[in-house]
Amino acid sequence: MELALEARGLRKCYTAAPAVRDVTFGLHAGEVLGCLGANGAGKSTIVKMLTGLSEPTSGQVLWFGASIHQDLVAYRRRLGYVPEEPELYSYLSGWEYLEMVGTLRGMERAKMAKKIDALLALFSLAPHRHSSIGSYSKGMRQRILLIAALLHDPEILILDEPLSGLDVVSAMIVKSLIKTLGERGKAIFYCSHVLEVVEKVCSHVMILRKGKVIAYAPTAEVHRMVGQASLEQAFVHLVADRDAEQTASEIVQVMSTGAT
Amino acid sequence: MELAKRHWERLSHGPFLRLVRHCVDRIFSGGESTEPGELDLSIATLLALLATPGAFVSLFCMDHYGSLLLFLRGQAIDFDPYTASSSDEYFFIVLAMVVAGAAAVWKWDRLLPDRRDYANLAPLPIASSRIFLANLAALSVLAVVLSLDVNAVPSFLFPLVVCALQTSHVFGVFLATHTLTIVAASAFGFLAVFALLGILMALLPYRAFRKASLYARCGIVFVLMALLTTSVSVPRKMEHLRNVSRAWAYLPPPAWFLGLCQTLRGQRGPAMTSLGGAAIVGLLCALALSLAAYSLCYARCFAQSAETMANLPAGRAARASVVFRLLDPLLLRSAFQRACYYFAFRTIFRSEEQAFALGGFLSLGIVIALQTLLPAMNNRPSPTMSGAIPSAGMLSVPLIVGFFLIVGLWSVCAIPAPLRANWVFRFHVNSRSRECAPLGRKIILTFVVPALAIVCLPMYSHFWGWRLGVVHTALVAMWCVLLTEGLLVGFRKIPFTCSLPKFKSHVIVSVLLLVLGYFAFTSVTATVESWALADPLWFVLFAPVVLGVSVALYKWRRGMAENDRRILFEEQSITVVEVLNLNS
Repeated sequence: MELALEARGLRKCYTAAPAVRDVTFGLHAGEVLGCLGANGAGKSTIVKMLTGLSEPTSGQVLWFGASIHQDLVAYRRRLGYVPEEPELYSYLSGWEYLEMVGTLRGMERAKMAKKIDALLALFSLAPHRHSSIGSYSKGMRQRILLIAALLHDPEILILDEPLSGLDVVSAMIVKSLIKTLGERGKAIFYCSHVLEVVEKVCSHVMILRKGKVIAYAPTAEVHRMVGQASLEQAFVHLVADRDAEQTASEIVQVMSTGAT
Repeated sequence: MELAKRHWERLSHGPFLRLVRHCVDRIFSGGESTEPGELDLSIATLLALLATPGAFVSLFCMDHYGSLLLFLRGQAIDFDPYTASSSDEYFFIVLAMVVAGAAAVWKWDRLLPDRRDYANLAPLPIASSRIFLANLAALSVLAVVLSLDVNAVPSFLFPLVVCALQTSHVFGVFLATHTLTIVAASAFGFLAVFALLGILMALLPYRAFRKASLYARCGIVFVLMALLTTSVSVPRKMEHLRNVSRAWAYLPPPAWFLGLCQTLRGQRGPAMTSLGGAAIVGLLCALALSLAAYSLCYARCFAQSAETMANLPAGRAARASVVFRLLDPLLLRSAFQRACYYFAFRTIFRSEEQAFALGGFLSLGIVIALQTLLPAMNNRPSPTMSGAIPSAGMLSVPLIVGFFLIVGLWSVCAIPAPLRANWVFRFHVNSRSRECAPLGRKIILTFVVPALAIVCLPMYSHFWGWRLGVVHTALVAMWCVLLTEGLLVGFRKIPFTCSLPKFKSHVIVSVLLLVLGYFAFTSVTATVESWALADPLWFVLFAPVVLGVSVALYKWRRGMAENDRRILFEEQSITVVEVLNLNS
């Protein structure tokens, strides 16, 4: 089966040191690929290259075998994207923002309006649909971003920390949603720090360290590869430079005595 | 001494002064909306900018009072400095008041602690009264610094220029009275604006205040511009009211301060005494009102932020969507244009920065239009204007407003709404789309032409008959279209989504072109139109002009390289030297 999304030897340099080095992976329809890594590991840089918002220094991103830059518009038409930070126009209402996104995507007005209303209701935002986004909490902004990404029923979804700021119920809904969308044949690239969520919803996992892929396999296999019982232990084994417990006790010591 | 030093050390490193410093910082910079690519000036830059107008105007006064220049012109060198300089003194008072008022309008949102301050400061172990006092101290610092900064150069330079040949006593009196008056005028300007802000905030619910504050700021800008533009005519009016005991009621606040200045210099009389008194009372009232309003809105808005933050306003469905639906089939045929047009429309009306900037342009346009209209009305040919031909000045009124509105919209489109949010356009829009200029044209023309037509058509039809009304409205619309087309050559931005333009090498040329364009657009067209109304043969002249300009613009646009048509999201400065990487 042809890969829905593929990264081949991606490399990105902002300064002399590369932020991302030789990242290669593939994503079939129906797969959910979880991308894990510590802060600064290069997750968001990869996301930006996958969405075409930033061009790789070398390597390429392929969409059904063709470079996304051959027809970026057609690619984005079939792509849904939730960015890491909910940067929205605060003076627009939630409804207006979604209407703008839907219109930019060329959706038919009546159908779009119905979809927006229905999705706003399902994400518990209907009572606030005409309030300005400036008055929304972070979780509400995140839900708006999720709706904007799902509005046009995309084939590929790129989600960068989609659960950030969500309450427990909304987070549970989104986790189930990602699983269901994967089962329905969507290709999903999911970036997160929450290991247990990645373990639950992702069919494959890719772990990054300092811009490089250090593990890339089906989720169950990653445990086996590093001989750890859970993904969290496997991640710590692969990525952590320091012992968490020791660092914690050092922090407590500094708090009380002022020195380690 | 040692004790005082230690006490000062303890105080300066204590929480209260740190809080005052925080309040000063948040007023001068550190706005929530500040982000890379947006305009945020440092304290030093801001103070330098505010001090500049006074310094320049003082230097220009050399032309009036320079003894060598007066001698070469054959004018009298031994003039009375107090009476001879009164019109320039008035201008300095206006300038001090306007600059201080404008600074208060500019920093309007940062003068009072807001919800973000509440979120950050309220959990800390600081008494609410200390936050209140710290911000009050910061405001006082701001008022004093502004007053001193705006007037620092003219305080010395203006007396020096005027009293170059006078005795040291005259110079001393002139210097002291001038400095006192302009500092007081600055303080009045700042406090009056602040009092209005406080009253609005204290009286209105939060959402209503947000809306009203925008209109209030535009209104203040209008008043400040009116003060500036009338700074020549008011001193003349003061001469007529020299013996009126209640002169303050007929004159604007800067005249009160001129009265105070002249009274202090011993130039007494019923008008001057009345004006001087009004200045002192006005300043005290502004101070009292500011303090009262500040206390009220601190108690109401800041101290109760927890309650107001918990209640999310429900909002209302937009009424504009009905109008938008009508525009869709008529004007906005592509998805790109629909989405971006609505976005631009909402940004103009809701985003304070953009609305405020446009309000400034519109205010300036209205002030200049009124100044053109009033003398033109006084010189009208007959008591009943119907049948007569309006003068060029009368015809130019809608053109002046139109010019400022079009240039204002064009400029405002370059101010980004939160730049970090433009990813949504970068992500969804085809950067090769060539619809930016048509979009800009539709935004400007749907905004300007109907508004002008609604005012212009009935007004001119009422005074000069419906034929002239229709002809003039059509011509105004035609000139507006041409100006818009000219401004939009090479326009390749989605309004409000691109970073601020860097200062380019041709900025002076652009400003000069705009000034020349203003005279061509308002004076030349109106003059030719008045000739054409007298002799319709002149109308023939319009056809080749319009055709020529249209063809030139069309050819210019066609000749642009493909790369110059891509949508811009970041303004990049033109690199003088480009390094060619020939090794790779």
